[in-house]
Amino acid sequence: MDGNQISMLKKIMEIEFTCIDLNLYLDTHPEDQKALQDYNYYSNQLSMLKQQYEQLYGPLMVFGHSQSQYPWKWVDAPWPWEIEY
Amino acid sequence: MYDYNPYVQDYAFPPLKLAQAYVPLQKYVSLYPPEEAIKKGTVFPELDMPYVGEKMR
Amino acid sequence: MWVYEKKLQYPAKVCKPDVKMAKYLIAQYGGPDGELAAALRYQTQRFVMPTGKAKAVLTDIATEELAHLEIIATLVFKLLKGVPVEILKREGLGEYYTEHDRGLFYADTTGMLWTAAYIQAKGDAIADLHEDMAAEEKARATYEHLINLTDDPCVKDTLRFLREREIVHFQRFGETLVHIQEYLESKRYF
Repeated sequence: MDGNQISMLKKIMEIEFTCIDLNLYLDTHPEDQKALQDYNYYSNQLSMLKQQYEQLYGPLMVFGHSQSQYPWKWVDAPWPWEIEY
Repeated sequence: MYDYNPYVQDYAFPPLKLAQAYVPLQKYVSLYPPEEAIKKGTVFPELDMPYVGEKMR
Repeated sequence: MWVYEKKLQYPAKVCKPDVKMAKYLIAQYGGPDGELAAALRYQTQRFVMPTGKAKAVLTDIATEELAHLEIIATLVFKLLKGVPVEILKREGLGEYYTEHDRGLFYADTTGMLWTAAYIQAKGDAIADLHEDMAAEEKARATYEHLINLTDDPCVKDTLRFLREREIVHFQRFGETLVHIQEYLESKRYF
């Protein structure tokens, strides 16, 4: 596993984490426009990062949420618990 | 008396009742940048309450 | 439905294998205030919540707890990786090894198996949200105990992250409780 894959994964984790925390805030503050604007901003950034990652290293999600190159890349190592961050 | 707290919404509670618990509603103030937020475990500085450790008690 | 993402929520690291710490950490995998209990508790309570906000909070926090379950599993997996049987035995994991080798299983630190009796779903939003707030505090306390039990800075780092999440979840459940109290009050008059 190359260093670029790890650093891209960590970047995705960072942006996704910001989305998660904003998501929980929005659940109890659905009318907070500023928070929603920030959520949408980071969510857009996250989609772009995930797309870049998946093109290089295979799908992050299955069940039709992302496509795979041939052969089906989902089965490839490493799995999340096997990575040395 | 009411002390001004910038992290708690000005929206007031309905009159406080007995035998009910209340947590103040958080107000949107500022965010940590994403790379810092994940390290802290929250994007909200006002909810960032790190453990001081056993020795401090 | 749920969809798996092939990544951790947090880059969980261990600096070196440590059988004792793995044994303690299992508490947060299959113990009474662990992540499995949390995820399943919120997941099953949400069905009869009276408002959309409450359903959303329970759904999303339950989902995040599943990510935490995977983080704990990763720590335990890494703490036991490559440790010879003699050391597992010496450090108190002989019984665990007998049944599970170095695999992950839903038990607490004393070997007690996970049980649904650890959680409650009363079908009453006020009662359930109080349970959830208490659960977050108990998990926070457990994480503090675990932080005190290790001197591995990598493990501490991940435990601090998980502990802070309990605080954020407490805030969200608390806001949900106040919202439900208001909602129920408004229903009494209209």
